[in-house]
Amino acid sequence: MRLATAPFALSPHMKLFVALAFLAAALVTLAAEKPAPPALDSETATTPAAGAKKARTVKILMRDGLRFEPPRLSLEPGEAIVLEIENGDSTDQSHNFLLLRPGTREAIVQQALSLAEKGPAQDFVPQNPDIIVSSKLLNADGSAKVKFTVPATPGVYPYVCTFPGHGMVMYGAIYAGVEPPPLEKDPNIPPTALQTVVAGGGRRPFTQRIFMPDAGPAAIAVALVGSQNVCWDAGQCRLRYAWQGTFIDASDHWQGNGRQLPVVPAKPWWRAPKDDFPLRFGTAHASSPTAQFLGYALTPDGPVFHYRAAETEVFEQILPAKGRPGLALRLQIPRATGPVFYRSATDANTTWTSSAGTWNEGLLTLTPAQAKDVTLTLTSALCTP
Amino acid sequence: MKKLFSLLLILAGTALRADDARVAQFYDIGKLITPSGVDPQLGGLAALPDGRLVAAFHHGEIAIYDPKKTTWKIFAEGLHEPLGVLLAKDGSLLVMQRPELTRLRDTDGDGVADQYETMWDGFGMSGNYHEFAFGPVRAPSGKLYVALNLASNGDTVREEIRNEWSPVGLDREKFYAGDWKKYSKESGRMYGRVKWRGWVIEIDEATGAATPFASGFRSPDGLGFDPAGNFIVDDNQGDWRGTSELHYVKRDGFYGHPASLVWRKDWDGSEPLKLPVEKLNALRTMPAIEIPYGSYANSPTQMLVIPKTPAWGPFGGQLVVGEMNTARLLRLLPEEVDGVWQGACVMFVETTALKGGLHRLAFLGDTLYVGRTHLSWAGGEGIGTVRPVKTPFDPLAMHATPMGFRLEFTAPLAASAGDPARWAGQRYYYEYHPAYGSPQMDLTPIVPTKITLAADRRSVEIELAELKTGHVYDFDLSGLESAKGETVLNPHIAYTLNRVPVAK
Repeated sequence: MRLATAPFALSPHMKLFVALAFLAAALVTLAAEKPAPPALDSETATTPAAGAKKARTVKILMRDGLRFEPPRLSLEPGEAIVLEIENGDSTDQSHNFLLLRPGTREAIVQQALSLAEKGPAQDFVPQNPDIIVSSKLLNADGSAKVKFTVPATPGVYPYVCTFPGHGMVMYGAIYAGVEPPPLEKDPNIPPTALQTVVAGGGRRPFTQRIFMPDAGPAAIAVALVGSQNVCWDAGQCRLRYAWQGTFIDASDHWQGNGRQLPVVPAKPWWRAPKDDFPLRFGTAHASSPTAQFLGYALTPDGPVFHYRAAETEVFEQILPAKGRPGLALRLQIPRATGPVFYRSATDANTTWTSSAGTWNEGLLTLTPAQAKDVTLTLTSALCTP
Repeated sequence: MKKLFSLLLILAGTALRADDARVAQFYDIGKLITPSGVDPQLGGLAALPDGRLVAAFHHGEIAIYDPKKTTWKIFAEGLHEPLGVLLAKDGSLLVMQRPELTRLRDTDGDGVADQYETMWDGFGMSGNYHEFAFGPVRAPSGKLYVALNLASNGDTVREEIRNEWSPVGLDREKFYAGDWKKYSKESGRMYGRVKWRGWVIEIDEATGAATPFASGFRSPDGLGFDPAGNFIVDDNQGDWRGTSELHYVKRDGFYGHPASLVWRKDWDGSEPLKLPVEKLNALRTMPAIEIPYGSYANSPTQMLVIPKTPAWGPFGGQLVVGEMNTARLLRLLPEEVDGVWQGACVMFVETTALKGGLHRLAFLGDTLYVGRTHLSWAGGEGIGTVRPVKTPFDPLAMHATPMGFRLEFTAPLAASAGDPARWAGQRYYYEYHPAYGSPQMDLTPIVPTKITLAADRRSVEIELAELKTGHVYDFDLSGLESAKGETVLNPHIAYTLNRVPVAK
């Protein structure tokens, strides 16, 4: 990996040439200090920007698998936008970009198809007043800037690639003054778009090691079967928090160098205390043992975590609770030599129960035999069915 | 200013490019379509003995390509920024992720990993984005090696870290003060406040036991072995790296970047960044090859030995290295002189068809697969292929001699090469200092005093008026012709002179 520095550097034999180029460039730059010349990229000017407010730059990438990234954008009605479009499709496919009036996507895709042999000459863009703005056809690595003003009428404005065969899957939507629904329920984005936004593309169960907010840096995000998701901390070998609904949005994390943390799209309904490993061995008042992560096995129900704490091997699986909203924490401690204690983290909303053992003010006591296979159930008033 | 840069880039870029059409006579550049639905940035590539190719992708997939069936199969998913993959001795796959070295096992034989076993995670993570983890590679001795990147002061650290924090350096509270820009200058440009950052670690494959092996690294993306099996690591230009470097790495060695020193067992607790440069300079092992920044490579990546097959001709057995910022593969030509490693770098395959971001390499048969990446930096995506067509007229080898250098070529030189005026170049050195990179210092033209062509004109002895150790001798061979009248395909070769051989 590298750290970005100067945008380029020159070989020794280029020195003279560069000196001349520098001079030429300096002259060009001086000239360009006056009103900005049109950009060199293809540019389709349409509705002039309202007022003198500077246009906001928004980027959109064409990606492998006939996808726009991001698959949807939230913009303000009337906002002036410079859209920087880049064809980053590594499979050498050409794409265009059309922004359309609400509800016209399928008709315009059909119209573009019917251009047949006339298509290439007009970059597969048909004549239609419902096309707000369009780009030329971009080959792989090509880019374009498209300027437009978001229509003043609030609505969902689709964008699409009308290259033959692409239009049925390669689309997205601008939400202008309209609140977008949860991603996986959004009828205006294609199912393939979830792949770039939601880790695992919406599949459940799915296990993703990744940086997570409010956890140690060796974190694991798990989308459970159903609607529950958890953050499990591999550095500390314990469950950190749980939320319901969409799994993590890792697009900013993955588009960058890892500096941006993934987004947990809903407020967790339960969080573990910050510095408390829940298991104790032998006596309930033993100090917190150090835990060594040993890995996980993937099963059809999700991962089974494996770790060692106080010389004792533990297998831990997080599952959706049966019959009620919440989590089931299945612990398997095959070789405990004495009693095992679980210090549950309780708050006003949570309830813990277990398949075995005795509870005393949030502390579960298990015999070695009970600890061989026990399921703790965590439910919360904040957790919806 | 930005406009000026872009224009310069366009102008310079055009002229710098080797002639793509000419390169195409010698190397056939193609592509391998990556698996659908997988982000096409490559962190790892490895050839399997059964002729398949295993690839690690940016979002955490491990996929295996079968060239006979031309199909991909996803073997594992959900890994954290894997930057290397290796077939284990027991048939499982070893993958270095940000948080750990992992063994992936397919225990039910369905072709998909079901066990993700932690093999070694005994190192620190501050959560800083630049803490990449590279490897593993296996030495001829059977030992595995991994390397851990330093953190960057482009960002602070997370509240929660893994493993212990070194008290040496900027107060930890300042990292959490909320105004990182105010303190970032005091942390060091790259810092290593959690364990084994800036280190190469040796790992026993059977037990997973890890031993800190060598320190002084910054961003060591390329771990490999020279043609004789010696362990080598390349590291990236930056602070304490005047330019990118190739190191011959030995146990307990220190290779120049001081941030890692706080984790040395014998360290006295002083702040290494505040030590006099002379003291650090005395501690370090000099790079074997300095790879000139910009003109040769900005960010060297993986190194591999080119297979000794007829197709690769005389380059078989030499080292190839990838590069992030330009569409360029290079060859590295190390040699040992009186126990000191040094040598040359030279462009190998340079064509816009390669694109940039040439991060990971694997040879399958005569095909070199090149996996690209970029993250948020310059680079590319997807997998390219390079197949040799025929051998170009190129420098083949370069050796230091008591009076200068001996250069060998892939074809006989024209008689005109005997004229010293045909040989040009510059020598310079890079400063060892905390600043980011170094200009070429003491830039001086190379003046050959005597040129002696071998009888077969495939090699030439160049005598120079003076030889300065610690300097890079950067030759421009564009004035030369082969006996058949061809110019040199890659006419730049730069030799890092650490030791002048003694005349025998």
